[in-house]
Amino acid sequence: MKYVIAAVAAELLAIFHVSVMQYIEILGVTPDLVLIFVAVWAVVRGHDEAFVVGLLAGFVKDLATSDPLGTSVLALTPLVLLAAAMRIRAVDTEFLPSVAVVALGSLGYGIISMIVLAGTGQSVAWSDSILRVVLPGCLVNALFTPVVYLPVHMFSAQRRVGTIGTRRLTSPL
Amino acid sequence: MRLVRRLAAVTVISLLSIFLSEKRALDPIQNLSLTATTPLASRLRDAARPVDDFFKGITDRGDIVRDNKDLRDQIEKLQHAVAAQQNAEQRIRELEAALGVKQARPEDQLLVANVMSEDTSSLKRMIAIDRGSKDGLDEGMVVLSRGGSLVGTVSRTFNDFSWVQLVTDPDSVVNAQVIPGTPGAQAGSPTATTAVTPTPTPAPPASSPAPPTEVPTPLPPSPTPIASPVRGVAEGDLKHELVLDFLPPDASLPEGSLVTTSGLGGNYPRELLIGSVEGVEQRPQSPFTKAMLKPAADLSTLDTVLVLLSFKPARLSKQ
Repeated sequence: MKYVIAAVAAELLAIFHVSVMQYIEILGVTPDLVLIFVAVWAVVRGHDEAFVVGLLAGFVKDLATSDPLGTSVLALTPLVLLAAAMRIRAVDTEFLPSVAVVALGSLGYGIISMIVLAGTGQSVAWSDSILRVVLPGCLVNALFTPVVYLPVHMFSAQRRVGTIGTRRLTSPL
Repeated sequence: MRLVRRLAAVTVISLLSIFLSEKRALDPIQNLSLTATTPLASRLRDAARPVDDFFKGITDRGDIVRDNKDLRDQIEKLQHAVAAQQNAEQRIRELEAALGVKQARPEDQLLVANVMSEDTSSLKRMIAIDRGSKDGLDEGMVVLSRGGSLVGTVSRTFNDFSWVQLVTDPDSVVNAQVIPGTPGAQAGSPTATTAVTPTPTPAPPASSPAPPTEVPTPLPPSPTPIASPVRGVAEGDLKHELVLDFLPPDASLPEGSLVTTSGLGGNYPRELLIGSVEGVEQRPQSPFTKAMLKPAADLSTLDTVLVLLSFKPARLSKQ
């Protein structure tokens, strides 16, 4: 059931991405809500689930864009690894690791996307793309993390209450 | 160990998908997905536009007032230019009839298509349109704005949809020429250039298939004699949107000069309006001059485009 919910959420975010988000441009880039969703899911729900969610969300995103199918799945994979690394942390919050995973994951996502584009025969302006798209994308996606983090965290907290009672395991932030 | 196994599995699945996608084996899935999601995406897009316009109206009010004044001045100048041009066109028609000269492309057939979504990945500049291979579209076909200026080319076709690569995409390359001393050309005034371009018939609703429309040659002949046009290559650019590169180092390019397709290479018809010169970059160590262009069509607010069916690009003829 959780994967169905994740797939539906990813699909809605992908549709939102290609329709509404084109009007929201900050520093020349558009926030990538699907990427943020996978990053937050990986931090809040763990990397085991995130592999499946990343796979579903990646395919859903590629179906809505002009990228070859599978590009986003490959580019989202580093997010899951980053989230796994972030499980070992000093602070008792999931928000800050989510922001860090989104920012670093955006960098990995951008670079892998460029490699796939170059590999499929399209010309890539490497320096311009990194300076004008990938690096601003890290910042903009990190800024938009709360928009996706709060619903995912609330969904996750509800499930925990349902399975282990009313005791809270983590702080909301 | 489980993490490594999962990582390997996801990597293999994604690489396999990319390979199959490039071989066009997954096209039916992509076509089905676009068919299913397009209505919702279109509604969201239409709903978001007024909100975007509202906020832009607030933030850009000063610019709008200034632009309004400039445009009124330009309209007045253009009315004079149009009147002169109509006289010139009439004269040309009379001379062509007398000499038995055929028009350049009198049989142009255009298919109206609605823009369904935009690829916002920032690495590419693509739009999806609601016409596909079943409507006769093929990869490489030329796409125009409603005003007749160049928008891009069809880069990938599905049964019911197509992705269009815009001229501002970093992968887009168009052989172009600058027409110096074009009358009515003002800096940053694409409206000025499109105003004199024949407007095709309005777009029908998305659901009804549109019959091919016949329109005259997109760019009318200039009433003043054109000195030798300066040729270059118009390329999409992430920094400047659109640049005209490989121009001769001594090229004189006044701001506002019109840039059209040159027809070289055979992938685009001649004299399709691309945009106007916004600025020139001349570096002493560079063997070429580069010009920054403002696209004639407003590519950020496209909702209807025209696909040029009658022109067969060289890359299609070779197949």
